[in-house]
Amino acid sequence: MSPEPVVVFAAVSLPFVAALLMPLAFRLLGERTGYLAAGVSFLCFALLATQHGAEGVVSLAWIPSLGISLRFAVDGWAVLFALVASGMGVLVSIYSPAYLHGESGLARYYAALVAFLGSILGVALAADLIALFVFWELTSLCSFVLIGFHTEDDSSRYAARMSMLVTVGGGLFMLAGFLLLAQAAGDPASFDLAAMLAEPGPVRDSLREAGLFVPALALIAVGATTKSAQVPVHFWLPSAMAAPTPVSAFLHSATMVKVGVYLLGRLRPLLESPEWSLLFSALGLATMLVCAMLAVASTDVKELLAYSTASHLGLMVAGFGFASGYGAEAGVFHLLNHALFKAALFLIAGIVAHEAGTRELAELGGLRHELPFTAAITAVVALSMAGIPPFSGFYSKELLFNATVEAAGQIPGAIGWLYPAVAVLASVFTVLYSVRFLALFFGSRPDGLGHVTRPAPILLVSPAILGALTAVISVSPGIAIETVVRPAVDATVTEPREMPHVIPTSYSTAVGMSALAIGLGLAAYPFYGRFHRGIGGLSAAIPPVAATWWYDAAIDGLERAGRGLAARVQNGLLRTYATWTLGATCAIALAGFAAAGALSGTMVELEASIPIALVAAVAVVAAIAVVRSPSHVVGVLTLSIVGFMLAIVYILASAPDLALTQLVVETLVLLVFLLVIEEIPESAELPVPKFSEMALGRVGRDAVLSLAVGATAFVTVLVTTDARPEGASEIARYYAEQAVPEGGGTNIVNVVLVDFRAFDTMGELVVVAVAAISVLTLLVMRGRGEDA
Amino acid sequence: MTAIVLAATVGALFALGTFLMLRRDLVRVVWGLALVGQAANLYLLTAGEIAPATHDAVPVLAGHGEVPETADPLVQALVLTAIVIGFGMTAFALVLSYRVYEEHGTLDLAEIGGREVSEGRERTRSDGGDRR
Repeated sequence: MSPEPVVVFAAVSLPFVAALLMPLAFRLLGERTGYLAAGVSFLCFALLATQHGAEGVVSLAWIPSLGISLRFAVDGWAVLFALVASGMGVLVSIYSPAYLHGESGLARYYAALVAFLGSILGVALAADLIALFVFWELTSLCSFVLIGFHTEDDSSRYAARMSMLVTVGGGLFMLAGFLLLAQAAGDPASFDLAAMLAEPGPVRDSLREAGLFVPALALIAVGATTKSAQVPVHFWLPSAMAAPTPVSAFLHSATMVKVGVYLLGRLRPLLESPEWSLLFSALGLATMLVCAMLAVASTDVKELLAYSTASHLGLMVAGFGFASGYGAEAGVFHLLNHALFKAALFLIAGIVAHEAGTRELAELGGLRHELPFTAAITAVVALSMAGIPPFSGFYSKELLFNATVEAAGQIPGAIGWLYPAVAVLASVFTVLYSVRFLALFFGSRPDGLGHVTRPAPILLVSPAILGALTAVISVSPGIAIETVVRPAVDATVTEPREMPHVIPTSYSTAVGMSALAIGLGLAAYPFYGRFHRGIGGLSAAIPPVAATWWYDAAIDGLERAGRGLAARVQNGLLRTYATWTLGATCAIALAGFAAAGALSGTMVELEASIPIALVAAVAVVAAIAVVRSPSHVVGVLTLSIVGFMLAIVYILASAPDLALTQLVVETLVLLVFLLVIEEIPESAELPVPKFSEMALGRVGRDAVLSLAVGATAFVTVLVTTDARPEGASEIARYYAEQAVPEGGGTNIVNVVLVDFRAFDTMGELVVVAVAAISVLTLLVMRGRGEDA
Repeated sequence: MTAIVLAATVGALFALGTFLMLRRDLVRVVWGLALVGQAANLYLLTAGEIAPATHDAVPVLAGHGEVPETADPLVQALVLTAIVIGFGMTAFALVLSYRVYEEHGTLDLAEIGGREVSEGRERTRSDGGDRR
């Protein structure tokens, strides 16, 4: 079955249209706008569900001259991710109105939320590298708006800026990587990702030949790892928890942070290689371990979940890193499981914070009495997170353990066994913090905890649905595997194979690893406080251990450098501004000419009659006199000489209209100058210092700059006139020939001004009118007390 | 082909204009601006070929019928627009300098600039204090 273009385009564009209408809808519906957003998300979900099982590409021309089009590919992997995103959009939109009751800025919130849904669907379906990049950065922008939802809150703004810098910056690296891919894909560059994935061999070979395989891989990896919060750029994710909890559930656990993982799955058939495996399996496992440890050190419920999310993202990245089929299966299946259980956990954390009034882990506990239903859901999803059989997280983690064992077997020596060892160690910490989260409900109740209210029933709907789905996959993983996971895995591997049974029937190394991890985790739980303090104390004792320290240092340094530069370049003195601007312009222009090779071999020709040369010489002499003029009046009069000489040049250059205009304007300028100068007493004039008294250093500097500017202008005229085509240009001929038939006038310049380019002339008149009004304002308004 | 005479004129006018723009006297800065504007107009004109002043080269046609080779009418139209805009700019700059003189009682940019900067610094400092 091939995809239905109308349906696919409708599914991606619908949220954007809805985003535009949200402010209007908010006026009509108020806080119930959330249900409208849920409706939009559900419509997208339904539209995409009809494409389940379809495979193929639909496209719409966008920038045909560059070979860029709005191309969407539908396959199992795209559909799985798009369904997860839109389904999560529905649940989060249902949850939001009750959670954000009474907050301001909700129109912006819902607009950003649905716009984000559109962007993420775009990422999921895009099969054109440029379209993919645009949607990718759009998700970062929406995330920026949503993290900064509390605009008046400093920490919220700080977090929004941090996530923006990290993810958008990473996206730019990815763009560079995409350009390398596009170069390798064909000549002229082709951005068609679907074609590359269909024929990965030639692209890979041409990248290898050019020696650009590793750079391209590294650049794309930067994009994917920043987005998916891998070590060492994992630090933005916990900060992003400044966002309202529904946003954390939607963007920062289930969807946006997964686009990095998604991209790895997408590009895996294209870039799969030993370098790929080494990079991503090592990076993923490192993240899995480091972030699981940091989760144990967390003091805040959402912080714990954020680190845990980064750790699970590491699991998926590692999965896609391993070359084996197990790896891809682990990545895909865990993406689904994690989206379900982690979003539920975030929504539960939101309920706890909402009802108990605190998110501090130390202040919470034993909530099962007040929140029995929430506690039941938590039990399912938290055990799934821990990877305890028979919950869903166990199955996908088993697949990863299998992948690590397989990879270890292929690497000679003991070093390969680092893979399984790190995976098990990370899982021990996973068990630890999962149990800690469960203790919020099942542990003992701290004395300080005040009255906990019952949540509104509507808040429980979304976590209950997620919990139920997790339970279904736990009981019968086959259903999910057959319907969505296997088609997705097929799209991310080069050689499709039969998906293994995930419910273990006999002992294997992977089962042993799970047992070891769970056993050690449970055994270590009584010492949780020690781990918690130990890991937390390490980063407090040595600040550079924490990644945020580096971020803050870099940003502070940038800000300081920026302030220093501004004080130097823009110090309030006009000459400083002029010096920097003119100097930079000259440098750039000359460098441009040099780079373009325009400076060599120009034919020097006079192209001016002797009269023109003489008159021009007089103009230059007059200009020198202006510079050396002892008083304002003398200077103004000599300045006029320059203008009138140029008028004569225009006459000699067959431009009578210019000469006329120049004469009129010159006369007017002279009058205006004299009128103004008359008002300024001579005492205000700055005396022109005698040459012997001049501050030689300053004058010398000015002279050097002036000569540089003059030389640049000279060279520019030479270079441009040298490049001028022979004879009259096409457009000049057109104007000359059409002046009479089209414009009905014999003076071609006049016809051009009032007919062919009449809009330019109108703009010019506007400029003169604005100048006149400004002059009037400046002169007249002073007496009337402008300040008042 | 290059137009070395006009290139030299444009270069010289640019250099002198720049030198004036770097002076402390505001009126001289305006002169510099005007000079650079004139030079830019001349540069625009050279972008079309400079035609010797003959009867045919003037871009005014005798009437209907054969169209002779004329000087480039497009650059002339552009320069004409530029001259008028340059006039507006010079007039505005001049009146602005007059206003500056009225407000500050001086045309010395070094004095005015220094004052602005120190005032600005004080303002930022007091703002910062308020925020804290």
